[in-house]
Amino acid sequence: MGRGVGLVVGLFLCLVLTFAVFGLPIGDSLRLLAQGAFADKFAVSRTVVKSVPLLVTALGIVVAWRAGMYNVGGEGQFIAGGLAGAWVAKAMAFAPHGAPAPLITFAILVACAVGGGAYGWLAGLLYTRRGVEVVISTILLNFVAQQILGWLVAGPLQERVHQLPETDQLPDAWMLPRIDPQTDFHLGIVIALLSAVALYVYLFRTKAGFELRLVGANARAARANRVPAKRVQERAMMLSGALCGLAGGIEYTAMAGQLGTAFSQNWGFLAIPVALLGGLHPLIVIVSALYFGALFAGSEQLARFTPAGSTLVYIIQAVAVLGFVSLNAWQERRQTRQEGA
Amino acid sequence: MDGVSAQFFAGEIHAVLGENGAGKSTLMGVLGGFITPDSGEASFRGVPWRFGDPFRAKELGLDMVHQHFTLVPAFTVAENLALARLNHLGRVLDIPRLSRRAREWAADLGWEIDLDAKSRELPVGAQQRVEILKALSGDPAVLVLDEPTAVLSPAEVADLFRVLRRLRDLGTAVLLIAHKLSEVMSVADRVTVLRRGRHIATAALSETTAEQLATWMVGEIPPSLEAGRGTAAGPGLKVEDLVVAGDRGEVAIQGIGFQIGRGEVLAFGGVDGNGQVELAEALAGVRQPRQGSIRRESGGEVAYIPQDRREDGLALSLSVSDNMLIVGHRRMDLTWGPFLLLRKVQVWVRNLIERFQIVIGSPSAPVRSLSGGNQQKVVVSRALDRCPDLLIAVNPTRGLDLKATDYVHRKILEARDSGAVVALISADLDEIAALATRTVFLSRGKLLEGNAAAGLTGGAV
Repeated sequence: MGRGVGLVVGLFLCLVLTFAVFGLPIGDSLRLLAQGAFADKFAVSRTVVKSVPLLVTALGIVVAWRAGMYNVGGEGQFIAGGLAGAWVAKAMAFAPHGAPAPLITFAILVACAVGGGAYGWLAGLLYTRRGVEVVISTILLNFVAQQILGWLVAGPLQERVHQLPETDQLPDAWMLPRIDPQTDFHLGIVIALLSAVALYVYLFRTKAGFELRLVGANARAARANRVPAKRVQERAMMLSGALCGLAGGIEYTAMAGQLGTAFSQNWGFLAIPVALLGGLHPLIVIVSALYFGALFAGSEQLARFTPAGSTLVYIIQAVAVLGFVSLNAWQERRQTRQEGA
Repeated sequence: MDGVSAQFFAGEIHAVLGENGAGKSTLMGVLGGFITPDSGEASFRGVPWRFGDPFRAKELGLDMVHQHFTLVPAFTVAENLALARLNHLGRVLDIPRLSRRAREWAADLGWEIDLDAKSRELPVGAQQRVEILKALSGDPAVLVLDEPTAVLSPAEVADLFRVLRRLRDLGTAVLLIAHKLSEVMSVADRVTVLRRGRHIATAALSETTAEQLATWMVGEIPPSLEAGRGTAAGPGLKVEDLVVAGDRGEVAIQGIGFQIGRGEVLAFGGVDGNGQVELAEALAGVRQPRQGSIRRESGGEVAYIPQDRREDGLALSLSVSDNMLIVGHRRMDLTWGPFLLLRKVQVWVRNLIERFQIVIGSPSAPVRSLSGGNQQKVVVSRALDRCPDLLIAVNPTRGLDLKATDYVHRKILEARDSGAVVALISADLDEIAALATRTVFLSRGKLLEGNAAAGLTGGAV
């Protein structure tokens, strides 16, 4: 876990550096930020609840990038997941007799994972069958998903009154249960953590996960050793989309309860730096997701010092990513220089 | 590269000849300033040469045409030509002036070049002309061309040679890096042969023969090449009428057939690029043959040592342990259902490292940090860990030093002695002499039997 500790220290330095550059009082800013993120259980719940979609979407990014598939379509897959879930919810609402509520919630979440998975798989197929670069296809599919969302919430999935561009609110019984009714701590937190552990086991303890990492590291070597690289790449994109879709499902069934045109608040994009800072490692990503969750939760307090307020979060994120990338590049250079010697 | 010396004179075409991995490109990299040697010295027109400074090399009059083009695809030809002479960024860009010398050369050599065409739209032959003009625009005293014919059609090759002769007559020292014997025979004045990073010989072309050069390139043809060791202990592999396509859809293996018995090493000699990789991949089950049959009498394990460890053998960024798992993750005793048994894997990896004497810091270090020899040992160890039923090895010792080579050879012979069917595909005749029970030669996708010289020279002599 040495990398985890290094990450925490590095991220803290990024904070201090950004405050210093913007001329904010460092001590006070840190204090306010910490208050906003950790002062009481309400603050902590705000932090955790923001971390959950970041974490699950970042896990989706991890699994794709580990296979060498640079999926930047987390946003689209998040939305595709939410839409599949909303569609199932609508179908359930018309069902004459009610199935047990937890089962319905489960069915919605599964639909979300399937929907996101199918959407990710599409990009995977475009790559393996037609050679379309994943970066290109996924970034474009984001727009497609956003447009489909806009159409569905104003059309087939629109709320009963047909007035607002949003779906019906899920009945409370169908929402993911709260662990503590006073706060927003919900069962999605547990799902997110379990997903991280499961992905860790998959990547580092199973044959399929090993093949995925091998294909990502050198697809030619995989092929020369009779590992079906293309199928592995398709599978990775499906899994990636499924996790992003699941993140959408958790957001839908735990927080939003309905889909509007602003369903995904850029979670799919924000998750990429989270995954990168977590070194594409499922367990370390938990740390970086919590960090950014805390930043988002705490940053509202910063508005007291600067009109930039919550915008600072994005600056800090950029500083962290740039720092991380330069550190990697520097290490790599040092390594190749040693090899050359 | 180890202790290579050579002299190149103005007004000659000097070919540097050798197999892939012989050290030709390394030598040229040193001269061009891209690689700094560990020891040795050079002088140019009697003045000591400073290594490791490509810009200075260019200033002093040594320019290169690289094997992989260095054109900016989105630039026009004129812009690419100007780029080569751009020595400042601060002033107004005067493309006609910067490309003037290159255009004069084009006229002099009788080349018609469309200056306004984007270079990515040009056919390869024309791109290479632009490359050559780029190099000539500095009026270099020494022009180095790295495998310039690899991408050219025969007519283009002939035109290139005409230009090289013209440059020679103008007093340029032309250094031609090549591995095709026939081309060297038709254009060079003098030849330097490298093998395995060593200087084998330098001779005027008039004083040597194609057979002599081939021998220098790949080693002595031993008199007892056909007198094999190891005896067939029963039927093993039978291949009939095999046709295999290459990556670009060309027919790389054109209907060949052969048999290899158990306990036998069948060596496929010949120069690279005659269907070796395609044959190996078809035998290893990596590439689907277009036609024909590959029948095995017993269905045991297939081990494959691919030609290029960095491209096909290893995932350089993964750990040594993960790289061994490339084969190990299919073993029943290291897995449980879909899971890897990491503790057993650890023991297995340590055992391989010990048995094959691989020198590494830790099994979790990236395989990239290993020396070339130890990287190859990783590939060999995982393939020969348990005695395979069928072993396909392609140039298994390329780039290895003598000790490591000997080691790999002994392991292959061990596999043979315990009854494996061995297909050895190698461009190195010393290696074939050390291992083969029988030898055939691959030439343009066909098998030539018992005709070593024809096999070696690609049938071109």
